[in-house]
Amino acid sequence: MSELLVARPSPPSSVRVVSDVPMAAPPGAVDPTDAEVGRRFAAGDEQALAVAYQRWAGQVHGMAVRAFGPGPDAEDVTQQTFIAAWTGRARFRPEESPLPAWLVGICRHKIADAWGRRERQRREAEAALSQAQAAPVGGTGPGVDSVVADRVLVLDELDRLGQPQRGIIELAFFADLTHAQIAERTGLPLGTVKSHIRRTLERLRSRLEGDGAALPA
Amino acid sequence: MQHCPPEQLALAALREPLPDDDALHLAGCELCRAEVSSLRRAVDAVAVPELAAPGPDVPPPPSVWAGIAAATGVTAAPAGAPAARVDAEPEGARVLPFRTRRRGVLLVAAAAVAGGVLGAGVTALVTGGDQPEAVAAVALDPLTDEQASGRAEVVVRGDGSRALQVQLDAPALEGEYYELWLIEPGVVDMVPLGVLRPGSQTFELPAGLDLGAYPLVDVSVEPLDGDPTHSGVSVARGELDT
Repeated sequence: MSELLVARPSPPSSVRVVSDVPMAAPPGAVDPTDAEVGRRFAAGDEQALAVAYQRWAGQVHGMAVRAFGPGPDAEDVTQQTFIAAWTGRARFRPEESPLPAWLVGICRHKIADAWGRRERQRREAEAALSQAQAAPVGGTGPGVDSVVADRVLVLDELDRLGQPQRGIIELAFFADLTHAQIAERTGLPLGTVKSHIRRTLERLRSRLEGDGAALPA
Repeated sequence: MQHCPPEQLALAALREPLPDDDALHLAGCELCRAEVSSLRRAVDAVAVPELAAPGPDVPPPPSVWAGIAAATGVTAAPAGAPAARVDAEPEGARVLPFRTRRRGVLLVAAAAVAGGVLGAGVTALVTGGDQPEAVAAVALDPLTDEQASGRAEVVVRGDGSRALQVQLDAPALEGEYYELWLIEPGVVDMVPLGVLRPGSQTFELPAGLDLGAYPLVDVSVEPLDGDPTHSGVSVARGELDT
């Protein structure tokens, strides 16, 4: 189901509203808790990057392989995800979301970016081909184009959301939960979940319509 | 005419079913439908299975970490190959990589090591008559940093039934226990044979089980957590040559 569920062993959700998640690791524990790894990662502890890789690279790479099949493209996405997570660790808020959920979010960006690059290459190749053939550019492109561009924008806007809005919309988008299931999962009132969903979709719409108009064809 | 509440239109954009009266209204109202459609653009942009919550783990090859270390300058190293999540899969034990208690070891690598000791560990013993006949034996070698070792022997009884006789030399455990497994070379499927303690014991082998398909004899340490799957912590192992 959700990546928010797979964090071992305890944190059940990135929606840090239900605050019964134990945060403190026993001092000197051999196996730090996921939360402890997240805090150390944010603090720039190199060992935490190694531990995070050991725990969650399989999850991230699983997503990459699902998008690109096994091979260099997927490996590149996984590598770029961890590099971006490490270099961008100042933006990670361990108190707001579990590290694996954050890594998965970055992985989505990397996948969408790679699709975007492929799409550009395809368009360039098509343009070159149609120029060579002195034929008008075919009508296959625009639909695919705009979805690819929309996707990058939506993921980017999700990054700007605070909690619990981001956790809520991610559960709706990526875990395919209904608003009632999200309310149950997060412990938030039904009405709160509904109004957050509404406001977030409006916000995403403004971003798409605002930026979409300015996008080069 | 009363339009649908904005929250309901957002749910419709997510393709959640609406209450009957809202659904009825939506079906006939251009304005509300346009609203849903404009909100749905974001939904559709990311509604692809590739971006959905992670599915099965796939451990990346070692070159991926090498690239990360090179790009970040981080000198710390993962203690072992990336772990796969042990999902709640109650239909049987399914575990991907294994780690030893202190250091991660991808089982595939460990299997290669076990293969290395194979020649030394395995002896084929044949005795006649109605006595149980030992058809294969294997040394159980400690995995990295572990204290456990032993020996396992496949015996065939007069009635054709088979058993695994195990001698385990290992420290007594507190709050944990040893468990014996037969594992296939791909290290995904495995057959639990039962709880094991230091000393000699005999385990019945399931009739019809192809030992060639499950050649790895594995001793794990299991916590008392009620989880029937392999803990991922292996302490001794050998490979049967059948």
